[in-house]
Amino acid sequence: MRESLFHQHRKKNTLALIGDKVWTALFWAGSLLIIFLIGCLLFLILGKGLKLMTLDFLIDLPDEIEAGGGIGPFLFNSIYVLVLSLSIAIPMGIGAGIYLAEYAPRNRFTELVRTCVEGLASVPSIVIGLFGYVLFVEYFDVGLTVLGASISLAILNLPILTRVTEEAISMVPQELREASLALGATKAQTIVRVVLPSALNGILTGISLTACRAFGESAVILLAGGSSTSGFMWDFNLLSQGGTLPVHLWYIQSEALVEDAKEIADKSAAVMVLTILFLSFIIRLPIWIRERRFNR
Amino acid sequence: MKKLTLLVLSFALLFGYSFGVQESTASAKTLSGKIVVAGSSALLPLTQQAAKEFKKTNHKVSISVSGSSSIAGPQSVLKGSATIGASDWDATKPVPGFKAFEGLVAHKIAVIPFATIVHKDNKVKNLTTKQLQDIYTGKIKNWKDVGGDDQEIVVVTRSVGSGTRVNYIEKALNGVDINDKSSNVVKAGKSGEMVTKVQENKYAIGYVDLPYVKGNIKAVDFNGVAATVENIKNGKYGIWGYGYLLTKGQPKAADKAFIEFIQSAKFQKNTAAKLKFIPLSEMK
Amino acid sequence: MEKIISNTTNLLKNPLLITKASFNKNYIKNHLFRFYSLLSVLLLGFILLMILFFIGKTGILVFKEVSLADFFFSLNWEPYEDHYGAGVFILGTLALTTLTFLIAVPISLVMAIFSAEIAPIWLRNLVRPILDLLVGIPSIVYGYLGITILVPFIREVTGTSIGEGLLAAAIVLTIMVLPTITRISDDAISAVSQDFREASYALGSTRLQMIFKVLLPAAKQGIITGVILGMARAIGETMAVVMVIGNTAILPANLYSPTSVLTSNIVMEILNVQYDSTWNYALYMMAFLLLLISLVLIFIIRKLRVKGV
Repeated sequence: MRESLFHQHRKKNTLALIGDKVWTALFWAGSLLIIFLIGCLLFLILGKGLKLMTLDFLIDLPDEIEAGGGIGPFLFNSIYVLVLSLSIAIPMGIGAGIYLAEYAPRNRFTELVRTCVEGLASVPSIVIGLFGYVLFVEYFDVGLTVLGASISLAILNLPILTRVTEEAISMVPQELREASLALGATKAQTIVRVVLPSALNGILTGISLTACRAFGESAVILLAGGSSTSGFMWDFNLLSQGGTLPVHLWYIQSEALVEDAKEIADKSAAVMVLTILFLSFIIRLPIWIRERRFNR
Repeated sequence: MKKLTLLVLSFALLFGYSFGVQESTASAKTLSGKIVVAGSSALLPLTQQAAKEFKKTNHKVSISVSGSSSIAGPQSVLKGSATIGASDWDATKPVPGFKAFEGLVAHKIAVIPFATIVHKDNKVKNLTTKQLQDIYTGKIKNWKDVGGDDQEIVVVTRSVGSGTRVNYIEKALNGVDINDKSSNVVKAGKSGEMVTKVQENKYAIGYVDLPYVKGNIKAVDFNGVAATVENIKNGKYGIWGYGYLLTKGQPKAADKAFIEFIQSAKFQKNTAAKLKFIPLSEMK
Repeated sequence: MEKIISNTTNLLKNPLLITKASFNKNYIKNHLFRFYSLLSVLLLGFILLMILFFIGKTGILVFKEVSLADFFFSLNWEPYEDHYGAGVFILGTLALTTLTFLIAVPISLVMAIFSAEIAPIWLRNLVRPILDLLVGIPSIVYGYLGITILVPFIREVTGTSIGEGLLAAAIVLTIMVLPTITRISDDAISAVSQDFREASYALGSTRLQMIFKVLLPAAKQGIITGVILGMARAIGETMAVVMVIGNTAILPANLYSPTSVLTSNIVMEILNVQYDSTWNYALYMMAFLLLLISLVLIFIIRKLRVKGV
């Protein structure tokens, strides 16, 4: 007996609906499990460190003998190196992203450049560290410095920023550009005033991702910036040693003999997580403000 | 266009470079100088603390201390990128795997004690040179062969070039090289990592500087002698080595002052001892 | 959005505002801007060439002493006995990357689809910053948690005596690349025009059908980008891997016995070698190789993409 067309359709539909329910449930379960695991991970890191945290810890000088030393110069260096590297990487990364998305003609050369960008994005951090070491320590002979660390870190960030910018810009609907051009704006004006603002969400995501990653990076800094600092606070000299907090954490876990090494490590890890939280909040702030204004 | 990029880049670097040169010549005039210490990370706690205390009395000396490895110390000095190199062995003499560095002068700065470590719950209390050799060459693979549980031994070692490894092979294994290509071998990057690995594995064996021995690990007796500072001082326990600072030729000015500061009785008795190195003067 | 509208309305109100002088100025600015963005992109290419040159220059010296076949295919790495076979590390890197890919990509996509389409807004706003947090946790912390929690756990479950190896490394790497892949895919999926969704629903498809047949194909480009960036990070990750892989230069018997990969071997040994030794050159060559593997992967993915689209 043949089922009617209507019945066939209905049966297929019910199956699809059940499938939909099941899959949705699976998605929920899977994601919640992952979120739960991540939550445990964060709780583990923050919980251990925050219990013991004091404000002095953040600005005190480290101590090799007595318990109770701080991480002041390392935290300062972390932020200093991050700001320097971002101020190199952001203008260039966004510039390159704009070129690829807006100007690049469809030809061999563009393909080559794009391959280069993706290639650079895939360069392992240890190789970039080695490159920084060869360039600054062996070639220019300036030793392990904040400068070397910042530039090497910028190289690590550049391609990711470029890629994300390009992606975000190419998502902007063509109509916006056409409208702007039709109103007599030049291409540069269109990009700066129309395209970039609409792509801001994606670009900021990119910046926040790179900033957070750069903050936690250790292999590059270890090779190009060294494992120590100049040893005092607020040292803006570009040629001081560029050890940052992750490198200090590595040192504490691998060599330090001080009694409270484990505590310092726990606290440093917690400080890092908190700083990253703060960073991604600050970088995202413009998006939220804009969304609120827009919604009103 | 590439040329332009190169130009901009080289200008930026040149600026940084000239800045650095100016600084070092300026500080040289005031007879203070710049000390760059590179090398052994095991000696880093000592050199870093020394730099901190040295700066208190010598404000105009700029000291930069970094730690990478024992072999990097003498090399950086020879290359000129550091003025003082720190090493866990006397780099002016050849050791297994590395030739001697010529043109360097070695200065002893402390005694570093080493120990064979196992997990606290391991029943084994004593290991002889022969047993250690067999374990590290892979002839003995089970704890029951040396008086422990019937469990596979997990050998944790450091990579070639580690100062701790050089000293351990020389002093504990009588020069027999460690076989690190067996499937029961795991390599740790640094002393701290070695400690973590042994702490986390009940059937692991490893070796570290004595000061790291605390918590869930214990030091095994060596040929029936306990690994203590006392036994090193009276010559019964043999696994220890000197830490060295190396300079190109005889040290001058600031470098000399810095090395003498570390060797001074006051620093040795107070700081070095607190960091659990053994003061030079207490060795006979 | 608001700014764009106000800008365009300004232009609308005064179309004659564009005088000749300002036209010229705009013309120059327009070209300067184009020039600037071209310069940035060229610089990027230039940096890659520089890296290839500097690392390759040192690495190539290894072939003065070691034959090509030995370096690439020999499994015997005993630098102190003049055996420089990098085969184990190359295979290790490829195996670890594949394993990470197999674990990380499905999990990340589930998370991305969940956060972009299924999760309620409050949960989405919670998930995104948490994922950003994960990116920034230093690899050393992951490595440490790897040795103290994951490796003992694997030892417990499998009953082996060691536990360090490919599986532990792949799990640690998965946690590390999860946020990268998830966040970028999430953005790509969210950016798919609402029209697509509505059209799909209007044709009677369920949400699931809409996601798999409409959203994912439409967001393919972004998802591939996320996967590339994520895998690139996995190939190059050093500090965490070195702590959980065991670092023994032999082929592993199974997923939980110690082995070594290119990055971990470089970082273990690079500080411990003499500058002008074949050993040092061999390590640089391995770094160069790592570069080439990444570049080849990128190349393959690009080819696939051109065909697929």
